[in-house]
Amino acid sequence: MASARGEATVQTPAILTFIVADIAAFGLFFAFFMIGRGAQVALFDRSAALLNADVGMLNTLILVTSSWLVVLAVDGARRGDRRTVRTFLALAFVVGAGFAVTKVIEYGDKVSHGITLLTNDFFMFYFVLTGIHFLHFLIGMGVLAMLWFKAGQEAVDGPLFGWIESGGLYWHMVDLLWIVLFPMLYLLGRR
Amino acid sequence: MQATQAEPVHLRSTPLARAGAAGRNETSTVSPFRYWRFCAAMGPTFLAVFIVCWGLLGYNIPPLSAELTGEQMATHFRTHANEIRAGMVGSMTFAVLYMVWGLSITKVMETLETDGNNILSQLQLWGAGLTVVPVLVSSSFWLTGAYRPEALDPSILQMLYDMAWLLIDLAYAVTSMQMFALGALFLSDKRATPLVPKWVSWYSIWVGVMFIIEVLMPYFKGGLFARNGWLNFWIEFLIWFFFIAIVTLYIFKAISRLERERFAATAKN
Repeated sequence: MASARGEATVQTPAILTFIVADIAAFGLFFAFFMIGRGAQVALFDRSAALLNADVGMLNTLILVTSSWLVVLAVDGARRGDRRTVRTFLALAFVVGAGFAVTKVIEYGDKVSHGITLLTNDFFMFYFVLTGIHFLHFLIGMGVLAMLWFKAGQEAVDGPLFGWIESGGLYWHMVDLLWIVLFPMLYLLGRR
Repeated sequence: MQATQAEPVHLRSTPLARAGAAGRNETSTVSPFRYWRFCAAMGPTFLAVFIVCWGLLGYNIPPLSAELTGEQMATHFRTHANEIRAGMVGSMTFAVLYMVWGLSITKVMETLETDGNNILSQLQLWGAGLTVVPVLVSSSFWLTGAYRPEALDPSILQMLYDMAWLLIDLAYAVTSMQMFALGALFLSDKRATPLVPKWVSWYSIWVGVMFIIEVLMPYFKGGLFARNGWLNFWIEFLIWFFFIAIVTLYIFKAISRLERERFAATAKN
């Protein structure tokens, strides 16, 4: 068991390379958004008003809740409790799936009203930033599903622990990025 | 069936083990690692030639704006035809080095595939090999434009330049596949001190994911996501260049370590 924990400690900081690089890239996207906004404040405010802030808020709650459920799964893994891990990973997946549903409805609504990433600079950022975030979300859902299957096959406090913890960190990053995206796109300049 | 064999499966199945066995039986002076460093050095060589030939001589660092008119593009080809010809000839000649470099990575990866399942090392090699294709073909488009630009219609020259950029940018997935395969295998390394640090694997995977931004390029002729934009050109190409440099460094280190381990094992026997 000691060696398994040893592997876990090697695994966990390593994914931080991905997370730090990804957050830095999103930081750059956010900076470009603010520069773009600075040049066209009225257009950005008008366009932001067309977004549904209630849906954005719902998405925030979905991701925060799903993240909390992953914390409980990681906690269960630390205790070697396979059943707890699988239950909370499954719940995190199901709750997280709600994000995909609302996002697809939101995208569908915009496109049906003729709003695309070519409409103006605000919607270019809206579709690109939320699109790249959505890709991260889909990868995260795949990771949650994979961890759920793996947790059914091997000990959760063995070598798999490092992967569960890494997956949890990744899922928190998806959550964190949305927590910045939501006010920046949906709330900034809203009256 | 396997249990009746005299030698464990993983020792029989890896090319390194086969090379090692051949070395023990036939001649002890031939290193199973011969050519590995040569191949690894082809990564930085490719990078240097790519930057000079494709980038500087070919006027692709940075690319010309997609907002230029056909006439402006024609003027570009007609004014710089000889530099572009030289650059693209160099780019096409040396593009294959990326595959040679990929082979050195695959050789190191194979030493970790001890169960005989070499899917990931092969995927990595295919990814590196297929990356040569868009470099080669897109360079031929730029070269075609520079071959007789005075006789070609400006809109055709514009189309050749656009085609070349659309191809080299949108073929990102083959290189992403190389990065994912490399990252996945080195992450599975069970050594206490991994052969290649895990952060290198995560960096590779991250670059492979970031390449997806290239899908936006066909929708924009100006701004961040255009072919000469901050994100779609400067960031995307720089992180790829760093990927080549970082992986090369750690492949060299891994080869030295494998050599030391092999010589120590041989000395013990």
